[in-house]
Amino acid sequence: MGRRLFIFPVFPALVAMYLPFCTSEVRLTTTPLDAPPARLWEEPANLANRDLFNGPWGPALAPDPTDRYSLVQRKHTGVNPGLTVRDSKGREWSVKQPFEASANEAPVEVVMSRVLSAVGYHQPPVYYLPRFTLVDDWGSHVEPGGRFRLKIKALKDRGEWSWQQNPFVGSEPYQGLLVILMLFNSSDLKNNNNTLYEYRSVNGIEHWYVTRDVGTALGTTGRFVPEKGRPGAFERDPFILGVRNGFVEFDYGGWHQELVRGRITPADARWAADLLGRLSDRQWRDAFRAGGFSEPIAARFVGALRRRIDEARSLEPQS
Amino acid sequence: MTPHSIGRLASDPEGLRHVFAKTALLALLCGFTGGTALAQAPADPATGGSSKTTPAAETAGFFAEPRAIGRGVELARRVRFLANGGEGGEVKNGLYPELSNMVTGAGWISGGPGYRQWLFGDRLFLDGSAAISWRAYQTAQARAELTNLARSRIAVGSQAMWQDLTQVTYFGEGQESVESDRSEYHLQALNVVGYAIFRPRRSLSVNGRLGWISQPTVSSPTGTFKRGNPSTQEVFPEDPVFAQSQQPSYHYYELSAALDTRDQRNRATRGGLYRAGWVGYSAHDDGPFSFGRSEVEAAHFVPLAGSRVVLAAHGWLVATTLRDDQTVPFYFLPSLGGNNTLRSYNDYRFHDRNLLLASVEARVALFTHVDGAGFVDAGNVAHRLGELNLDRTSIGVGLRVHRSGTTFARFDVAHGNEGWGFVFRMHDSLQLARVARRTAAVPFVP
Repeated sequence: MGRRLFIFPVFPALVAMYLPFCTSEVRLTTTPLDAPPARLWEEPANLANRDLFNGPWGPALAPDPTDRYSLVQRKHTGVNPGLTVRDSKGREWSVKQPFEASANEAPVEVVMSRVLSAVGYHQPPVYYLPRFTLVDDWGSHVEPGGRFRLKIKALKDRGEWSWQQNPFVGSEPYQGLLVILMLFNSSDLKNNNNTLYEYRSVNGIEHWYVTRDVGTALGTTGRFVPEKGRPGAFERDPFILGVRNGFVEFDYGGWHQELVRGRITPADARWAADLLGRLSDRQWRDAFRAGGFSEPIAARFVGALRRRIDEARSLEPQS
Repeated sequence: MTPHSIGRLASDPEGLRHVFAKTALLALLCGFTGGTALAQAPADPATGGSSKTTPAAETAGFFAEPRAIGRGVELARRVRFLANGGEGGEVKNGLYPELSNMVTGAGWISGGPGYRQWLFGDRLFLDGSAAISWRAYQTAQARAELTNLARSRIAVGSQAMWQDLTQVTYFGEGQESVESDRSEYHLQALNVVGYAIFRPRRSLSVNGRLGWISQPTVSSPTGTFKRGNPSTQEVFPEDPVFAQSQQPSYHYYELSAALDTRDQRNRATRGGLYRAGWVGYSAHDDGPFSFGRSEVEAAHFVPLAGSRVVLAAHGWLVATTLRDDQTVPFYFLPSLGGNNTLRSYNDYRFHDRNLLLASVEARVALFTHVDGAGFVDAGNVAHRLGELNLDRTSIGVGLRVHRSGTTFARFDVAHGNEGWGFVFRMHDSLQLARVARRTAAVPFVP
């Protein structure tokens, strides 16, 4: 009886550990013609002039750091604290906060969003505020800030999309997106971080396949406790281990390694690295400034990223 | 999964070996299951509308911390956050592991499924869970609470809790009860309560409760991993509880107030918790088991040396009032001893109508996430209030592993008149989880 009781809590725990690895086969779900690549990625026109501090949505949509934000409700999902707030203009924001000052993934998320949007991957309007004034039932007080994501009518959240099964598997933008995430040591390749947006523009309705909530990056990779936003760890961590059987081997310990193991070619890596290589030093610094990083820390990250870009560019196809 | 105290091991090398084996096993299990960050305090949705203004600050310790410690506690923090929410009351929707609602003595580990949901913009909170422990203690509970009425000033709710406690320890009543009279009983009870909480200020709450306990059953110990102690009825056959063919149902009514200025509920470093309350239990059968109980409790925390050292002082007085023709059944008697009170003594070591406890603890930040601690506990129980004293003492040292304002693991070694006590818990000794409890505590848990 004792052993049976011991198994009672242990067995479900082991099953829970195993289940995340039981993922679907990575494959296309429709022909590429049915799903234009623009839904995932668009060639970044005028990349050199893109503003990586304010991002693709510009300064007009940015949250005002001097505004007072009223509490709508607290966040009841995920592993980070957060809340929904409304500003004085009536705009609603989803705020992701740090659970403690030294483990804040919001700055990383904003940097990642700036870089991804600059090189052509769609992103919602996200900004970083280090602190803000919250008004709740008990009055107003200064709250720790974080990632502010604006809820706009033109951009409707239609649920998550699957890394494993989508219309873009195998395409350059899809492979390139994975390479970029590897390059940043992003550990959270989970489907619930992917959002399918319906974007209502002057051209009609577009469907955007967006990778968001990518704040677990710029540190080490790992499933449970990857470091994030740590320049020392990021500088030390290897990026590419080599090329085997024609595919790039990454030093990736995060979730869903099946997405990159034996699937990314040197050409894919070079495609992504060439894209990132078109960003100027000023744009890189602006991206990190948008995330609230200090100049010296940003310089360390940019240096490490530049080295990784060069590493990917130098890959040769294995005979 | 909730571990409970490993227990007191005076002159018991066999027991000591079991303790170390279990501790090693637990550490292994934590490693496998993604950090079984465990807690005694249930999530408190009544704070869901409130907000802590600053994330918990990490104080660097006196020594450089190995990276493995930081990574281990981060893992535990994530699991704890999913189970119990954060300091600001960010309780998560959906399925969760039930890590609370199991009383002291249930065994070193317990667990079960829970489900909770916020509705109507954080105004209604629904929660249901069940759990089973190492010693086959079982609990199930359901709760509904309107949390943020009148601009968060008022919360009202109801909870039903069923408990099947297979091996509750009892040493007899009075200061002079002896360790060799250790006995155990099996207690089953259904507890239903309606409550209202008024918060004129964020830190101040006034609570009213009206509850009903359906005929508790007291019988011989059952369950798993029995300790081999005789049943309470064998050791104390003359106890008034066993004079009843069956226990009565009770209704109870309670009024209490609490001022909570602690910076963090689960590992305070400054501020304090001060509370006072009165509860009346009335037996339905007009028998001898109606009584009243008053409590006054205070815990105060003082940071020193830039919060690298925290001094904590705790005092607790429980007084029972009743008519001469009434008595208190042993399962309701205030009790003292064990992991949160007299740490060198067994859990539930002393029972009587009145209780007094004073503790002082100093915590020193050795590493960023590991504190060393030294403590002194003193207290006693007494039949009459005037007979209370601080004659029973424990003195000891310990280690605490913590992060984000939460203690994940606590190891205490204490010495007192009855030998050595070893405690392993996954919450702070001064968390005072009873403050967040909605239903009446049956049995009284120190």
